[in-house]
Amino acid sequence: MKKHVALSIIIIAIVTVGVSFISKEPVNRAELGKLLFFDPILSKDRTISCASCHKPDFAFADTAAVSTGVGGRKGARNSPTAMNVMLRQPFFWDGRAKTLEEQALAPIENPDEMNLHLDSAVQRLKDNKVYDDYFKKIFDREPIRENLAAAIAAFERTLETSNSSFDQWKFYGDSAAVSTAAKRGFELFNGKGKCNKCHFGADFTQNDFRNIGLFNGRELNDSGRMVVTGKKEDLGRFKTPSLRNVSVTGPYMHNGMFKTLKQVIDFYNEPDKVIANSINRDSLLAKPLGLNQAEKDDLEAFLLSLTDGKFINTFQAELKYR
Amino acid sequence: MKTILISGAISLLTAFATKDKLAGRWESQPSVNGNITGVVFKTDSSFEGYINKKPFVSGKYIFKNSILSFTDNGCEEKEGVYKIIFFSNNDSLRFVPVNDSCDQRKEGMSRLIMGRVK
Repeated sequence: MKKHVALSIIIIAIVTVGVSFISKEPVNRAELGKLLFFDPILSKDRTISCASCHKPDFAFADTAAVSTGVGGRKGARNSPTAMNVMLRQPFFWDGRAKTLEEQALAPIENPDEMNLHLDSAVQRLKDNKVYDDYFKKIFDREPIRENLAAAIAAFERTLETSNSSFDQWKFYGDSAAVSTAAKRGFELFNGKGKCNKCHFGADFTQNDFRNIGLFNGRELNDSGRMVVTGKKEDLGRFKTPSLRNVSVTGPYMHNGMFKTLKQVIDFYNEPDKVIANSINRDSLLAKPLGLNQAEKDDLEAFLLSLTDGKFINTFQAELKYR
Repeated sequence: MKTILISGAISLLTAFATKDKLAGRWESQPSVNGNITGVVFKTDSSFEGYINKKPFVSGKYIFKNSILSFTDNGCEEKEGVYKIIFFSNNDSLRFVPVNDSCDQRKEGMSRLIMGRVK
C-alpha cells in the first residue's frame, strides 16, 4: 500500500513539474510581449509578426533594404534593430514616436506593414481565450491598446546587449579582447573619422537627427525628420542609429542603400563620390575624411568589435556570403 | 640630502595614497528607469565610463588635492574640472563642477552620486 502511495506521489510530482516546465504561460509583461512579438495574429492576414521584419538572428533587424508587409507591400524605410532601445528615444528614423509604447503600436496599423486597425487587433486578442486570460492575469484587465503597447515595449526593453569584444575591452578591462586594428579603429572613430560626433553614447548614438547627404530631392526624396517637425532645417535628417551589433544589421541607412560596412565607410570618406548632388548635408561631412585603405580597414575592425557574443555565429555565417 | 630624499618619498607616497582613493570602480544606484552609471578610474590615469555595463566614454584624468581634471572622447576634447567630495568613509563620492564648458556633461556629472564597487 505504502509503495503504491509513494509511486502515485512521484508520478503526480513528475507530471506536475513536467507540465510547468513545458508551460509557455507568460508570467510578466515582457514575456507576454515576447509572445505577441512573434505572433502573426497582429497582422491583417495573420502572416506577418513583428519578428518577420525584426529578425532575432540579425539583432532584430531586417536583412532586406526595406521590409515586406502583408500582401507583399514594401515599406519605405529600412527596419532598424529593435535591440538596445532602453536608452533611446524618440523612435523611428524620423523620430515620430516619442515613446517605445507609441512605437510598438504603429507597425500594426501601418498599411505597408501589418495593416490591422488597432481596434481590430485588440478585438482579436479579446476573442482569443488564451491571450485574453494572459492579459487578465498580467494586467488585471482584458486587452486594450495601452496594455498591448506596454507588453511589446516591455519585451523590447529586455533586448539589451553588452557582451561584445569592445565591452570586454572597455568594461571588463580585457585589452586582448579586441585586435590592434580595432583599437586603431576606435582612435579613428573618435578622431579623424569624426564618427563619435554623432555616434557617441552607450549605444553609439546621441539620438539626434542628421542629414548625412542621402537626400537630393530626386531619386532620394525622403524628407525624413522634416515630415514630423515641419522645419526646413530638418529636411533629409534621420535619426542616428545605434552601432551595437552593426555587423549583422545591414543593409544600412534609412533606405538600406548600402549592403556592407565597407560601402558605408567609403561613403562617409567621400560622400560626393556616391551622392554628388545632396541637399542640406551636415557640415561635419563638408570635406572628405581622407581615410586611406588601412584606416578604413581599421575602422571596420572596430565596428565589427561591437558585435555581441550571441551574434558571432550569425556574423561568421554572413561573412561567407561577402 | 637625507631630508630631500625623505620628503621626496613622502610626496610620492602621498601621491599614490591620493590616487588610490579614486582608483577603482564606482557606480550609481539604479535610476528611476533602472539605469546604472559607472566609471572605472585606472591606475594608468585612464578612465572608462559606462551605463548598464555599456561603455560610452573613455578618457585621461589627473586627480590631485581632491580635484579631478580630465578629457574624454565626447565634448570635443574640452577639459572638465571637478572637485570630488568623498563621504561614507571614502566609499561614496560626488562631483562638484569647478570648470566645465561642456554643458551636457556638467549636467550629468552634477547629478551623480556613486559608491565604490568592492
